Amino acid sequence: MADNQRVVIIGGGLAGLSATMKLCELGIPVDLISLTQVKRSHSVCAQGGINSCNEQTRQLGDSEWKHFDDTVYGGDFLQQQPPVKEMAYWAPKVIDLMDRLGVTFNRTFEGYLDRRRFGGTLYKRTAFAGATTGQQLLYALDEQVRRWETQGMVRKFEFWDFLGPVLDEEGRCVGAVAQDLVTMEIHAFPAAATIVASGGCGLIFGKSTMSVFCNGSAVSRCFQVGAKYGNPEFIQVHPTAIPGSDKLRLMSESARGEGGRVWVPRTPQDPRPPKQIPESERYYFLEERYPQYGNLVPRDIATREIFNICVNEGLSVEKGRMAVYLDLTHIPREELDRKLGGILEIYEKFQGVDPREQPMKIFPAVHYSMGGLWVDFAKSSDGGLQAGDPANQRTNIEGLYAIGECDYQYHGANRLGANSLLSCIFSGLFVGPCIQTYIKQSGGAAVTRTPSTLFDAAVSAQQKRHEDLLNCRGGENPYLLHQELGDVMTRAATVVRHNDQLDSAYAKVEELQQRAARASISDTGSWTNQNVVFTKALQDMFPVAKAILRGARLRDECRGAHYKPEFAMPSLTETDPEARRREAEQWCDRFEENNRRYLKSTIARWNGTDPDISYEDVDTSLIPPRPRLYGLVGAEIIEQVWRERQAKRKEQVATAGQ
Amino acid sequence: MNGPNSSFFLRHEFLIRRLHSLSGLIPVGAYMVVHLLVNSTLINGAGAFQTNVHKIHALGKFLLPVEWAFIFLPIIFHAVVGVWIIRSGQSNHSQYRFTANWRYTLQRWTGVIAIVFIFTHVFHLHGWFHAQWWLENVAQPLGMAQFRPYNAASTLAQGMQNYGWPPFYLVGILACVYHFANGLWTMGITWGLWVSPAGQRRATLACAVVGLLLFGVGLTALVATQVTDPEEARGVEDRMYESEDGDR
Amino acid sequence: MSAPTPANPSSPAHPTKVNVRVLRQDGPGQPAYWERHQVDYEENMNVISVLQKIAAQAQTVDGKKVAPVAWECGCLEEVCGSCTMVINGRVRQSCSALVDSLLAENATEIELRPMEKYPVIRDLVVDRSRLFHALKRLQAWVPVDTYGHLGPGPRINRPQQEEMYPLSKCMSCGCCMDACPQYQKIELQRRPGESDEQYQRRKEAAYEQGFVGAAPISQVVLFNSHPTGKSIADGRLDALTETGGIQVCGNAQNCVAVCPKDIPLTKSIARAGRAATLHSIKRFLEK
Repeated sequence: MADNQRVVIIGGGLAGLSATMKLCELGIPVDLISLTQVKRSHSVCAQGGINSCNEQTRQLGDSEWKHFDDTVYGGDFLQQQPPVKEMAYWAPKVIDLMDRLGVTFNRTFEGYLDRRRFGGTLYKRTAFAGATTGQQLLYALDEQVRRWETQGMVRKFEFWDFLGPVLDEEGRCVGAVAQDLVTMEIHAFPAAATIVASGGCGLIFGKSTMSVFCNGSAVSRCFQVGAKYGNPEFIQVHPTAIPGSDKLRLMSESARGEGGRVWVPRTPQDPRPPKQIPESERYYFLEERYPQYGNLVPRDIATREIFNICVNEGLSVEKGRMAVYLDLTHIPREELDRKLGGILEIYEKFQGVDPREQPMKIFPAVHYSMGGLWVDFAKSSDGGLQAGDPANQRTNIEGLYAIGECDYQYHGANRLGANSLLSCIFSGLFVGPCIQTYIKQSGGAAVTRTPSTLFDAAVSAQQKRHEDLLNCRGGENPYLLHQELGDVMTRAATVVRHNDQLDSAYAKVEELQQRAARASISDTGSWTNQNVVFTKALQDMFPVAKAILRGARLRDECRGAHYKPEFAMPSLTETDPEARRREAEQWCDRFEENNRRYLKSTIARWNGTDPDISYEDVDTSLIPPRPRLYGLVGAEIIEQVWRERQAKRKEQVATAGQ
Repeated sequence: MNGPNSSFFLRHEFLIRRLHSLSGLIPVGAYMVVHLLVNSTLINGAGAFQTNVHKIHALGKFLLPVEWAFIFLPIIFHAVVGVWIIRSGQSNHSQYRFTANWRYTLQRWTGVIAIVFIFTHVFHLHGWFHAQWWLENVAQPLGMAQFRPYNAASTLAQGMQNYGWPPFYLVGILACVYHFANGLWTMGITWGLWVSPAGQRRATLACAVVGLLLFGVGLTALVATQVTDPEEARGVEDRMYESEDGDR
Repeated sequence: MSAPTPANPSSPAHPTKVNVRVLRQDGPGQPAYWERHQVDYEENMNVISVLQKIAAQAQTVDGKKVAPVAWECGCLEEVCGSCTMVINGRVRQSCSALVDSLLAENATEIELRPMEKYPVIRDLVVDRSRLFHALKRLQAWVPVDTYGHLGPGPRINRPQQEEMYPLSKCMSCGCCMDACPQYQKIELQRRPGESDEQYQRRKEAAYEQGFVGAAPISQVVLFNSHPTGKSIADGRLDALTETGGIQVCGNAQNCVAVCPKDIPLTKSIARAGRAATLHSIKRFLEK
């Protein structure tokens, strides 16, 4: 455990903790930096569960490959496929490990793991611990890390704010600078490798389902010194959240997984209590429009449908506030308590209504960032990842790695429910041996050979930023600016996006950014100054906000969570079989043309004032892209045309190969 | 991980507190039950009471060691450790007004009352020490050391003939009985006899019944001291003494 | 905005303003002082949104400019355990403390204080490291061999899982300890010239003389009932019978009454008490 091997990890959620414990097991000491006690990280909020192919689904025809396929299809083919494949094949092992670590997964009577169904799949793949699966998983990892802490392998720096990576002359990352949020002291952490595992950036949207720590600042600070940011515009809006004045609280997809039904009264704003509205006067719009998946269509689709039914069709259950019913009242109370207790308590506690008796009122909310720091991967001969290769999870800055929600590579244009916990734990475990190899190759040079003046300079640069902020008297209130930013972003860049709105939002964000540079700090003290820490985080939200807006502006198509109505693929309208067939052919032509242009990763690079956008190819070598046809009119014929084309193409490849 | 600097109490905290818990039932609590039962027989008349007292005093030379080993030392141990326990906590019933929290506070108050009561009670009736000079020069002039085992009922009734004593004894008995009954309940949790909240609720009920019955017994004894006429009792005792003498 | 206007008594459900009294402290060892704030009432407001408003306006009810009140919060949905404080005299999570119900308790004002049993860092932020140190002391983890793949974990039947799950929901918020009359505050001041490590060691030594508290005891029960976790059960019970162990419990049962997650803490304490007794008898006879 030589100190020149020490790794710094930013963030103690599922990804950061699983990387920490894996590195410790490999004999590599870790400094763990977190904005809060790691046990309080945002991963605790994950409710529904964690996916893997399992013995029961296998007997129904499921396989790791199908899990991989569902993930890629659900993500609209925007993922790099090798890492996703590796993840799907690791999934059963990840769950086995978590099971061994003592996670209190729900059980069948015989004592096996119980599973539930989640969105975007037809199999019951999801293992769960009540409705607090994320919390349970995080605690298991937290406990393991505490175990290593008692053995001196981990030093925790809780209540520390990561201020940025330290780069040497060659552009390698040789550590990090962070600030103690209690004493406000700034220190450098030399590191053989630095891993960012800082989660999402929901706070950019003001209110979201995310915790207050998820401000995206860590990622932004890497972005601003040259790390590439991939797919910024892909922000998942969760279909079901409980509207609140401080936060939009998540109502897990598991509520639908356990049989919850989404509906609105057919009469707009029907004044009757929901239980008195007869079945015939209820509009179960998801079930009617998507008979195969019903209430469990992928999240982007459910979100748009709920948004659409309230905004365009005017069927919101309340006047003046948008919401639809999520109904569990047909399920026995005892079963609800056993499987969904945690989330139903949340609803009851914050809304004062018992969801076992009354349908819940829910509306979509910003939930997850599919995009994040661009990371590399090393493809293996079987199309997965090369284990232990130092390229895996590495950003474009040598020595700087990203894992978990803050990397961009697992969820493409839309994340499937219960895949995030998997991607976080998987990437954390998988990166361990890769870092080990990197340290072996570099010999810990970052720590031993970097002159201390470099770290001193990095610290004093941050010290200067801190003091300049304390002395700033520009008159702007950072909290109000944050509200404005949230409003702009929520209006322009969530469920439905329009180019003109994105343009004006960008101008507005630019204006807010300049005003934020003139923020007045009401607390000028040097002890536990949350005011200045918040302001710094706010200022660092703008680069990411701009990347989101610009990425969205330049992507003139619909893909997963990114939806622009002008560019939506139409349903088929012809009724005559032949005409319909021709229409389907045209549809497929357009689809292929669109993929040629836009089936690419958006890559943002910060030029000092704005993000520059470029595009990179996506590795779709394992599963060729196909139309995502959930609920589209004419889906059958399009599918048929598409299958024929694919078959023909295969044949051509085969003959060319002979 | 017990540091060398921690006090003896802290280093052996677990054992001491388990013994404290145990001593509350055996022997201290058990003794109190017997004591109150014996005393309540006074209600049946001076003769019945004297007979029971005689049975106790039949131990003769063993009485003193037995009293010290099974009564006085355990009570002193229970009291000393109890005071240490009280000092280790800080009641907050006015902030957290839950029943169990009130019981926690009451357990401590009644413990203190019980200490004061028992020490006064032993002084009042036995004078603390049996040395002659102490009894004659200190205890008796103060109106203490009232009880004579061979004139049990009459001296007791005589000793209680003061307006101050009956209320004092009432409060004392109440405190002791509460402390015992509630202590029984906490003991059951401490030792893991009643585990679930429902089990603990049922145990509360059972302990309350034990407490009420015991208080009934104690009250009987107290009432008996007030309805017994010392003169009349003296007569009974004298007759018993004589007849015993005759038997010899 | 000269004098605090009390919430409109005629319609206590919908006042226009909410009065808040906050016990502030600028740092460890500094004097605590009360400060009055007033914020606009909104429907479905919780204490978090009140504190957010206080931070944004950064002035007292008298218009005096002050630094925002410092406080901790995280998930805002009562699963992270960050935002514990004493609200209207009772320790609880500020996210789930709804203003309407607080005003029903006391219509004139809402009173916010830091937790009582942990050293104040600033205002409503306290140092709860003692709580996490207890988890180390009690080895609250499952000692697995490796993180490599060794197949599934031990089979656990449903009733057993249903016993364990509520215990594993403990979010280390500290409510149970704050309300416990047997859990005493341990606060050390840093000595001049003392290094971080020295200070840390001195704190930990002091923590080890104090009561571990209900939540960590409950974690012992959880891990001692896990088929693999139980392999180090003796070590946990050793720790649980040392200074500050389970014996300090005085059965006031405030822990279970204030626990925001309804964890059956007193049941855990009873189970741990039984196990600790048997364990120490066994130790006495076998050592």
